[in-house]
Formats: sequence, C-alpha cells, structure tokens
Amino acid sequence: MEANFPVRPGGLPGRPPAAPQTNLADILERVLDKGIVIAGDIQINLLDIELLTIKLRLLIASVDRAREMGINWWETDNSLQKLEPGTENGRSLEQENRELRERLERLERQLGIGEGQAKRAGA
Amino acid sequence: MQVPSDPAGDDLKDWAARKAPELLARAQQEAVAILRDALVEAALAGRSAEGSAAMPAAAAASPPPERAPASTAAPIALEGELLWVYCVLDARAPQPAELGGIDERFAVERVEAAGLAALVSRVPRAEFAAEPLRENLNKLDWLERVARAHEAVLEAVLADATIVPLRLCTLYENEDGVRRMLHQEQAALTAALGALLGREEWGVKLFVDAEKLQEEARASSEEAAKLTRELERQSGGGAYMLQRRLERHLREVSNSLASAVAADMQERLEALGVEVVLRSPQNRELSGHEGEMLTNAACLVDAAGLQRLQQLATQMEERYDSLGARVELTGPWPPYNFVPGGDAAALA
Repeated sequence: MEANFPVRPGGLPGRPPAAPQTNLADILERVLDKGIVIAGDIQINLLDIELLTIKLRLLIASVDRAREMGINWWETDNSLQKLEPGTENGRSLEQENRELRERLERLERQLGIGEGQAKRAGA
Repeated sequence: MQVPSDPAGDDLKDWAARKAPELLARAQQEAVAILRDALVEAALAGRSAEGSAAMPAAAAASPPPERAPASTAAPIALEGELLWVYCVLDARAPQPAELGGIDERFAVERVEAAGLAALVSRVPRAEFAAEPLRENLNKLDWLERVARAHEAVLEAVLADATIVPLRLCTLYENEDGVRRMLHQEQAALTAALGALLGREEWGVKLFVDAEKLQEEARASSEEAAKLTRELERQSGGGAYMLQRRLERHLREVSNSLASAVAADMQERLEALGVEVVLRSPQNRELSGHEGEMLTNAACLVDAAGLQRLQQLATQMEERYDSLGARVELTGPWPPYNFVPGGDAAALA
C-alpha cells in the first residue's frame, strides 16, 4: 500500500508516510486467506500446497507467543485448528507424540520403572 | 537438579516418573518450535535469495521445473496466456486509465457482463497454468511479487470505486469464462458490492513494549517483591532456584497483563459499532514489527466509524501509556476481510 501508508492516530491527513512499504504479512494474510472465492478455470487448491498449508501459516502468524499470553480469540475462526492434533496437519504431531511415548515406555522398561512402581508406597 | 538422598534411589525414579509427561510435553514443544524456526528460516532465505531461487523443500521435491516443457510432453500447453481476475465492480464504476498487471507486458482490462465488470489481465500459462502455479506458489519471492502486484491493482481501483476483491489465483481460460462467472455469481457479487458501498477496510494493531510489560508485572506483584527480597538474602544454588521462580512468575504475570489488555481492546473494538474481524498476531520476521503485537484486527468502517476508530486508537495509547502502547491503523485496504467466503482456504 505505497499510497496508503499507516496513518498514525491523531495524525493529520497528508502527513508523510510512516512506513515506506506495506508489511508483507499484512498483504499475504489478506490475499491468500480472504477475498471472495470463485472457482476459476484453473483449479488450484491452495491447501494442497505445502508452503501455504504449513510454512506460510507459521510464517504469517506468530501464534505460540500469543497463546502463551492467553490471547487466542482468532481461534473461533476455524482456520488455525487445522494445525491442531486430530486434523490433517496435526497428524504428524500426533504421530510424533505417539512415537515419543513409545520411546519413553521402552526407556522406562529398561530402567525398570513401570506404572506400578512409579507410585512409591509410604514415605 | 537436586538428587534426593534416599539410598534406594526410589525418589529419583519417582521423580522421573512423575516428571516424564511434563518433560515429554516440553521436549515436544521445543521440537515444534525448532521445526517452526527452521521452516520460517528456510522460507525467509528463499525470499531473500536471488530471483528464481526456490526454497530448499520445494527444490528437493521437484526436479528442475517448468523451463523445458517441450521435452517432457506436457499434457497441457504452456504457451499463450490465461486471464487473472483481480476484482469485480459495478459496470458503471470508473477505473484508472492505465494500469499495469501482474505481468508487466499486459495492462489491466475490463470484462463486462450482468451489469458488473471484472478487472483482468493476461498472465503467461508457463507461469500460471495449474502445474507451474503449484510450484511457483511455493516460492516466497514469486508469491510476494504476485501478491503485491495484485494488491497494487486493487488499491489503484479502490480510490474511486467500491470493489469486491478476489482471492489470489482466480484464473480463466478466456473472456467468455469470466463473463460466465459474472452471470453465475451476479447475485452474490451485487449483494457484496451493496454491503461494501461507502465503507472501507482498516487494519488495527495494538503493540506494547515487552520490557515495560515486564516492569509493570514486577511492580504490580506482591509475590515478585517477596521473591526479590528473598533472593537478596540467598546465594549459590538456592539463589539460582529463586531466580528461576521469579522469572517464571514475572512471565506469568506479564502474560495475564497482556491478555487483559488484548481483551480490553477487543471489547472496545466490538463496542465501536463497526464490523470487526480478529486475526492472529503476525510473525515478526515477516512483518518486521517491534514490541508485542497483542491485537491484529480488521474493521469495516464508514467515515464516522473511521473517526471513532481513530479516537479509540488514541485512547488506548493513553490508557496503556505505561506499557508503551502503540496503535497502528493501516488503510484503506480492499475489503478482503468483509466479503463472503473469505474463510475457505484459511490461513492463520
């Protein structure tokens, strides 16, 4: 938005541009995610594309930090949930989780720490 | 780590067993964070690299791409052009005389039907047919160029007309296809144009200073003061543990402070009587912002609504001055966030 620079609140119209170039995140979060969807002749399912499904999501949004701060209101927008376990992109996470658990169990067995032994009777 | 003195070592096992799920979860979180960072880095590297440089993943996944279509007997011809559609407007609405398209060789043209006009420009099949397009979309530098060009056209038109912006990559074989689309979608497009008339999309972001947030947390917390006093009397291992506890506590307090400020902003935005869409905060590496982004929203406003929005921005900066609060308004944007069907492809 070269012509429409960020307007500082209380700033006077015609004040010189505060940002020389629009931030790419501002543009991408709009042009990729929003705008009216009409099926054209070239069928491209944006969700098929690796970059757009995972890398770009991560690239555009900074979600971990926000969640840590307890800010998650955008999650009512169903978009992000695709990264959660149980959905397509979350599947690898679930699998990773399972593998780690199995590995932990093996290690526990080797160390002789079973579920039963984990609780120590009386102290 | 403090090793329990129990000679049987049961305490250690006990501790390990109790801690295992937590440690596992933490390890997993860290693994995800590392993976995320690596992906972001790769994507950013791809972006800054010279022109055609693909990102590692894309490069690895695909052999040398579209440059030699003839030799591979491509099923679809990659010669000639397709029509890229930018937006739809009322057929009576004006548009700037000379507008360059995504491909600089082709200007923006107008295709009219059903009382509507679609703004289109020719783009080469070699880049935009389904196969090459899939590849190109994986290159952040390519995507950035196309996205910015698409945006530039919309902004130029936006100055004098109400528009319905189309999602990136709405492509047709020819003018007839575009006209068919205008007929088919006439009702939805006309309704959208009506709803957007006289209103603008503005972006609203609220930032606070991370250090000031922490300072405020420290000043407001009894517990922090207590821990700090204790810390002054301690040394060695005890001091280390206390220090960690203090840090954790401060993080928790500043997080809930941040969350409260964000909730306050949300409430006030929603009280403005304008349409509001809340987005997730942006990645600093792409947006280049400073401070903590607590709010990332878009509002659809008329002239009076914009004034109220500007007042709110000033209010919030004053109200949270001690946190170094800064409200950034950007716009007017093409009303991407306020047209129907905007959620389907769903990025964060």
